[in-house]
Amino acid sequence: MAERTSWVPESVDTGLPSAARLYDYLLGGGHNFAADRVLAEKFLVAQPNARTIARLNRAFLRRSVLFMIDQGIRQFLDLGSGIPTVGNVHEIAQKADPDSRVVYVDFEDVAVAHSQMMLEHDAHATIIQEDLTNPTAVLDAARDSKLIDFDQPVGVLTVGVFHFVPPEKKPTDVVATYRDAVVPGSYLALSQFTSDLQPDEMAGIVEVMKKSMNPMFPRTHAEITSLFEGFEVVEPGVVPLPLWRPEVAGDDDPGRAGIFAGVGRKQ
Amino acid sequence: MPPDAPRSRRQELAREWMKAVYSTTYVPMSPTEIELFLGEQVDVIADALQATPFTAEPIRHVGERLVAEHFTGPETLQRTVEVLGHALLFSPELRDVDRLAEKVVAILGSLGASFATAMRLDAFDQQEQVKLALFSANSRMERVLKFSEARFREVFTSSAMGIAITELDGTFVEVNQALVDILGGVGDTLPGMALDDLFHAEDVAALRVSYQHVRDGVVDRFREQRRLVRLDGEPSWVHLAVSLLRDADGAAAYYVTMVEDISELHLLQKNLDHQLLHDSLTGLSNRQHFITQLETMHGRSERGITLFHLNLDAFSMINNGLGHEVGDHLLKLVAKRLLAVVAQEDAVVARLGADEFAIVVDNSVDTPKATELIDRINEELAEPAFVDDRGIALSVTIGVVDRPAASWTVAELLRAANTTLHLAKDKGKRQWLPYDPHEDARRKSWFSVAAAMPGALEHGELELEYQPIVGLADRAVIGLAAQLRWGDWGHLQCLELAEETGLSLPIGQWLLRAACGQAADWRDELGERTPPLHVALSPMQSRDEDLVGTVKRTLDDTGLPFGELRIALNTRAAVDSQGDDNAQVLADSGIATGLDEFHGGQEELALLTELPISSLTVAPSVVWRLADLTQDSLLHQAMTGMVAVVHRAGAIVIASGVRTEAEARWWAAIGADAAQGDFFAPPRHPDKIPELLSLL
Repeated sequence: MAERTSWVPESVDTGLPSAARLYDYLLGGGHNFAADRVLAEKFLVAQPNARTIARLNRAFLRRSVLFMIDQGIRQFLDLGSGIPTVGNVHEIAQKADPDSRVVYVDFEDVAVAHSQMMLEHDAHATIIQEDLTNPTAVLDAARDSKLIDFDQPVGVLTVGVFHFVPPEKKPTDVVATYRDAVVPGSYLALSQFTSDLQPDEMAGIVEVMKKSMNPMFPRTHAEITSLFEGFEVVEPGVVPLPLWRPEVAGDDDPGRAGIFAGVGRKQ
Repeated sequence: MPPDAPRSRRQELAREWMKAVYSTTYVPMSPTEIELFLGEQVDVIADALQATPFTAEPIRHVGERLVAEHFTGPETLQRTVEVLGHALLFSPELRDVDRLAEKVVAILGSLGASFATAMRLDAFDQQEQVKLALFSANSRMERVLKFSEARFREVFTSSAMGIAITELDGTFVEVNQALVDILGGVGDTLPGMALDDLFHAEDVAALRVSYQHVRDGVVDRFREQRRLVRLDGEPSWVHLAVSLLRDADGAAAYYVTMVEDISELHLLQKNLDHQLLHDSLTGLSNRQHFITQLETMHGRSERGITLFHLNLDAFSMINNGLGHEVGDHLLKLVAKRLLAVVAQEDAVVARLGADEFAIVVDNSVDTPKATELIDRINEELAEPAFVDDRGIALSVTIGVVDRPAASWTVAELLRAANTTLHLAKDKGKRQWLPYDPHEDARRKSWFSVAAAMPGALEHGELELEYQPIVGLADRAVIGLAAQLRWGDWGHLQCLELAEETGLSLPIGQWLLRAACGQAADWRDELGERTPPLHVALSPMQSRDEDLVGTVKRTLDDTGLPFGELRIALNTRAAVDSQGDDNAQVLADSGIATGLDEFHGGQEELALLTELPISSLTVAPSVVWRLADLTQDSLLHQAMTGMVAVVHRAGAIVIASGVRTEAEARWWAAIGADAAQGDFFAPPRHPDKIPELLSLL
C-alpha cells in the first residue's frame, strides 16, 4: 500500500523554452538549451532587430541602476531577474558601492537555481523564487531576506518583464502594491514591449511567443505610462530604449527599439 | 618615441574600436570605460608589434580578455579585425616596424585564434553552468518532492481523517488506516471495493453528480455531510471533502476523498437538538418544538388535525403539598400515559409549561373522535398513581380545537386552544370544551369591556338594581337582592368583569355601601314593609380579612339595622378558606349569613355543619340543569333529601336565576323555600322598587 504514488511530477522540463533563456541567447549568452535557441530563431525572423533590442534593454537596466545609485539608492528589488547574464544588477550596483544590496525575484526553476549558484558567496544579494504578480508574497519574502530595509528608499526594477504580465493579472494593481510598500523617494525602473513601435513585427513576436511558456502582451505608450501611477516620471519620460539618458549619441534607431522605458520617483 | 603623441594616437584607435564594436554586443560598461579597456588592449598590441624579438604570444590574452568582458557579439571579432588591421598598417607610430604587414597578420591571427578558443571555453562554461543550474533545480525539486511526499505520507498515515485516493472510475489507488478504521475494517486494506460501495445507497446518485462537478471543474472541491456504509452494513455519518488531482498536463487524474467521521459528533448534535427541542423532565417536545411540529402537521394534514390543550387539575396543590419530587414523578407519568393514549395515531405530545400539555393528532380514517380520545385520556389519568403508598388520581381540563380550517395559522390554533381551555377550567375540574367561535368572539369583546371597567367605576357609570326574592309558597317578597348594572351588562356579567379586572373588592364594597344606604332610605320611606337587603359577595370579598369590619362600618354609617342585612358569602371562597371565621363573626354580630353560588357538592354541604348558615342560594346553572329532571329521577329524590337536610340545619334554600314557571315549580316541589329570577321579576331600578313593593 505504501508504494510511491505516481501522481507527482518528476523533474523540471527542459523541453519547454523559457523567455529568460531566450533573452540570454539574444544577448549572446550560452545559458540556454536547444529549445530556447529554436524559439530565438523564430523570434529573430519576426523581429530581426531583436538582438539590438535585447542589448538596448540590458543597457537601460545598467543606466537606470546607475541613475538610482546617483540618487542615493543602495537597495534594489529586481523583479523577473531571469538568467544571470552579463551585467547583473548586483554587479553594477556593487561596482558603484560594494554595500549595495540586491534581491532578485524570479519564478522559473532554472533561473532561480542559476542565480543561487552565482550568489552563493554574495552576502549582499539573494534570489527569491516567487511570482512577481503576487506582490504580497514577494514583499514578505523580501522582508524576510533582511537585505532590504523598507524604511529606506528602494529601487524597484521591472526591466523587460511586464510584457509577460497578462491584463487579467491587473498590472497596474501589481505595480501599485509594490509602490505602496516602499517609502517616498524610492524609484521604479520599467521597460516593456510596445505595439506603438513596429506594430507588424510586434504582432509577429506575440504570435511566436504564444506557443511558449511566456506569452507576451505589448502595451501602448499610454498604458505603459499609466503603470507609473504614483510615481513622478523623471526626464526624459517614457521613451524608446536608446533615448533614455544615453551615454553616447549612438546610431541605434529609436523607431526599431521595440521597447518603451522609463524611471519614476515615488512621491 | 615621444610618449604623448603615440598615446593620443592609440587613444584615437581605442575610440575608433569602441565605436566599431559598441553596437555589436552588450558590455556592461560606459563608453568611456570601454574606450579605456580597449585602449589597454591597443597598448598590448602596439607594444607587441614593436617588441624584439617579435612574438604574438601576448595577443592571446587580448582575445581572452575581450571574451571575458563580453565583447562577444557575432560581428564583434570581424569589426575588431577590420579596425585593427587598417589602423595598425597605417599608424604613424608603427611606420618604421620591420615586416609590419607580416607581423600585423600574425597578431590578428593570434587574436582571432585566442578569441575563438576563449569563446568556445566560455560557451562550455556557460553550458556547464546552466546544466548545473538545471541539475540543481531538479534535485531541489526532487528534495521538495521527497519532502512533500514524506509530509504527505505522514499526513496520510497518521491522519484521523480517512483518506482515499481513487481512479476517476472510483477504483481505490490507496486508502489510509483511518478510513479503514472508520469503515470498521481489519488490517490496513479494504477488500476489493470502489468508492461507490462506501456510500449509502440513497446518497450514491447525488454524490456521483458532485464528483462529476469536481472532475468537470464546475467546482474545485465539494464538502458534504453524507452517510458511509460500514463493512458491517451500519451507516455512519461523515463529512466528505472531495477534490481532484491533476497530472503534469493538467488533466484530471485522481480523486482525493477525505472522510471525517462525525457519527459521534452527529449523535452529540442530535442530542443537543433534542435538548433544545424537548422538555428535559418528560422527554416530550417543548413548546418551541411543538409549534414547529404543529405547523408541519397542520400544513400537510389531509383530514384535519385535532389539537388538545390540557391542564393538569390542581397540580400546584400536589407540588406544594407533596413536594416537587412527587410532582416531577407525576408529570413523567402523565407524559407516559398521554403518549400511550395516542400511541396508535400520528400524533405529537408536548409539555408546554409546568402543568400544561398539548397533543396534536393528524386524523386518519381510523382516528377515534375527539370525545373518545378525551374519554381515554381521562381513563388513563384516573388510574391512581402511587406515591409513597398513597394513590393519587389525576385529572385534566381540556380545550379542544377539532379540524380547524387549513387557513388557520399556528398562532391562531394555539390561542384558540388556550382560550377554550380557560373556558373549560371555569367549569371546574376534569372538564373539556370544544372551541366555540362565537364564545371566542364574545370573549374577545369581553376582554375589551373588562379593560374599560375601572374607568366606568370611577365615572359612576355602575348602577345598582334590585331583584325581589320571592317565597315559592306564597310569592311574597322576602328580600331584595342588590345587583350590579353597567349599561347592557347585568349583575352576573358585571361580577365576572370585576373578577377579571381585580376590581371585585372595591366594587363589592361600593355595592354594599350604596345598597345599605338605599335600603335605609326605603326603611325611612316605607317602614316595616321594607324586605331585608340581600347582598351576595364576590369570592375575593368573601375572603377579605376586613370583611366584618367593613360591614359593621357600613351599617353604622348608613344607619341600616343589622337585622335588615343578609350577607351571602361565595360558596367556593368559603370552601377554600375553611377556618376563616367571617361567617361566624357576622352571625355573632346579628347579621344573617348565607352561601351564594351553591352547587350542592359534598364539601359545600359540609359547610352547613361548620358555619352558622341561614340560607343557601343555589347557583343558576344548577337550578336550570336540575329543573329538566323528572320527578321520579334519582337526583330529584336526592335533592329533596338535601333540602330537608338544609332545613334541619336551620337554613332556607333559595333557587336563583329562575326563568320559567317549570323551573319554579320543580324547585317548589323539592321543598325549596324561595326563588329569585326574571320569571318573578327582573332586576329593577331603585325608583321602581316602592311601586313594586306596593303592588305585590
